Amino acid sequence: MSGALLTVQDLSVGFLTEQGLVRAVEGVSFVLEPGQTLGVVGESGSGKSVTAKALMNLLPSYSQISGNVNFGNRDLFSMAASREKHFWGVEMAMVFQDPMTSLNPVKKVGEQIAESLRVHLNRNRHQALAEAGDLLEQVGIPEPGKRLTQYPHELSGGLRQRVVIAIALACGPRLLIADEPTTALDVTVQKHILDLLDELRRDRGMAMILITHDLGVVKGRTDEVMVMYAGHTVEKSPTGTLFAEMRHPYTEALLETIPRIDTPKHSRLIPIPGRPPEVIEVLPGCAYAPRCRYSIKSCLNEQPGLKSHSAGHHCACHAPVGTPSGMEARAANEAAGITVAGLDMSQFSGIEDKAEEKRSGGED
Amino acid sequence: MAGSGTAHLRGRDDVILRVQNLVMEFPTGRHQVVHAVSNLSFDIRRGETLGIVGESGCGKSTTARAVVQLPPPISGQVTLSPETEDAVELTALEGERLRQVRPRIQMIFQDPISSLNPRRVVHDIVEEGLHIWPERLQGQDIQAKVDEVLESVGIDSVVATNRRPHEFSGGQCQRISIARAVVLEPEILICDEPVSALDVSIQAQILDLLQEMKDRYGLTLIFISHDLAVVRNVSDRVIVMYLGKVCEVGDADALYSAPAHPYTRVLLASAPEPAKNVSGVEAAIGDEIPSPLAPPSGCRFRTRCPRAEIRCAEEEPVISAIEDDHFVACHFPILNGKQRE
Repeated sequence: MSGALLTVQDLSVGFLTEQGLVRAVEGVSFVLEPGQTLGVVGESGSGKSVTAKALMNLLPSYSQISGNVNFGNRDLFSMAASREKHFWGVEMAMVFQDPMTSLNPVKKVGEQIAESLRVHLNRNRHQALAEAGDLLEQVGIPEPGKRLTQYPHELSGGLRQRVVIAIALACGPRLLIADEPTTALDVTVQKHILDLLDELRRDRGMAMILITHDLGVVKGRTDEVMVMYAGHTVEKSPTGTLFAEMRHPYTEALLETIPRIDTPKHSRLIPIPGRPPEVIEVLPGCAYAPRCRYSIKSCLNEQPGLKSHSAGHHCACHAPVGTPSGMEARAANEAAGITVAGLDMSQFSGIEDKAEEKRSGGED
Repeated sequence: MAGSGTAHLRGRDDVILRVQNLVMEFPTGRHQVVHAVSNLSFDIRRGETLGIVGESGCGKSTTARAVVQLPPPISGQVTLSPETEDAVELTALEGERLRQVRPRIQMIFQDPISSLNPRRVVHDIVEEGLHIWPERLQGQDIQAKVDEVLESVGIDSVVATNRRPHEFSGGQCQRISIARAVVLEPEILICDEPVSALDVSIQAQILDLLQEMKDRYGLTLIFISHDLAVVRNVSDRVIVMYLGKVCEVGDADALYSAPAHPYTRVLLASAPEPAKNVSGVEAAIGDEIPSPLAPPSGCRFRTRCPRAEIRCAEEEPVISAIEDDHFVACHFPILNGKQRE
């Protein structure tokens, strides 16, 4: 812990709306060591982007934030305003999902990169532009000299995302937060961008938080994965362990519901019934219980806390997958044909074998 | 990619739609032309699901729109039931005669929320098609039909009578779009990226629903997506497109287990969890798609292709069979894919 770069403790974020308090993030904690990559996986509304924005101090002033975030030995939420200016963007930087809208359309690419160098590092205009050219080269943009004088609309989506990455890297951050950096891009470009981020991270010894809705993206690219659902961390584990022995029913369901490229056509997918809860409704129990095949009585009235299963592997579930209690719960639900939360189990019948096959096929 | 040619067309009775030499071009301001789709041919059998996959800008959506004549293609034929006596050549039709054919092909779009009119209640949105075609059903029958279709997509028809699209989630709106398309009992349903805007946990529900609707109403599907895994899962036959041309066509399993076109292999190797029968090295191509204003000569993929030779610039490859129901448009296809699996 002593060497940790980022320590997040019990981070909660709420927004007061006309409908009530939206609890976007509830009690999220994690530790990131220098040079490590954390993958944050979840659907829209799970709180993954809000977590990132809280770290980047980008949330609107009316949001209710609590918890502790330490970067090195600095406490982020109590930092003096005078120091803030040269913290975000310098020590910690962010890459956003949509490269089309995260660049200024009426400013040349070179000036946009040079801007942060001039503001934060006091470079003069000439130096800053020269460094911007170097940065473009580092992010793999051909003919950087020519690109510096172009406007964002003259570049393709992939190039634009590289420019966004160059801006984020300009001041040599120690932590890069990438929020769905490839969701808007084609698969061929996606691979290039993910490879580039990985390479830059290694070269610079930078830590990275990679936010995505795609479990496939974090597999093999991250050291640790945190799965979020309705604002809560439901599972957190070293990446290898997670894919080998996932414990949370939601993680399992996420993996089973995605078609895989190497399963034959018309393989039956196992849908996750229902839809994610509105985070306004405060459920007394587990937020996933209404969609869960493993739910037991206590899921309905008692919120599960994160429990450790093996070194570094935590899961918030009363009846985790692959444990005696989980197997018992699932068998009981199957026998009853309906879960305690009222989920009809018949929709899953006949697909159990396939699920097994699919999972064993998925581990390599 | 070349590929022109029609070797992959099937002259069977049960072909429900045949597209031949489809060309779609859009003029731009400076006397230039965007070559969106060039000389594309394909066919679909009744009850089949045809997947079209490719990067953005490859012409997949333009193709779908050209099939429904929105707008009509520059040249080429789009024929319904080509091998039967009531073959209909859509490109030759105009005005009222074209309108009469329209209910036979319906479409659903990527963004479920913006494709529904926000000011109308859901029940009316689904019902509207039946009012446009009063000769089909009347009065009580319309209500019964709408209720039945809403029921089949899993939307409560009572709720639908007094709610508007914004009161439903993205997944539910996509269900409503499907209901709206299916209520006219089309023969062909074109799905343009129907699950791309949905959360992963909802995606499988909609894919399952499409399969269910297909069985229930005897639909033939054209399924467009950039997601290779989704396309394999839903399709019987797959077309891989690049810059307005066909690269590879074939049975979904044959194409994925023995990809023969270098571009198909690039796509498979680029997926977040790459297919096991291609090596990661194969994904190493430039990420710039050439401009459709001036597509490369010969094979359009040659500028990014690891196997390109001089011949690829001079001569456009013609699509040809490499095995049963598996066709490729490449001078140097990879034919040993199967052994590597």
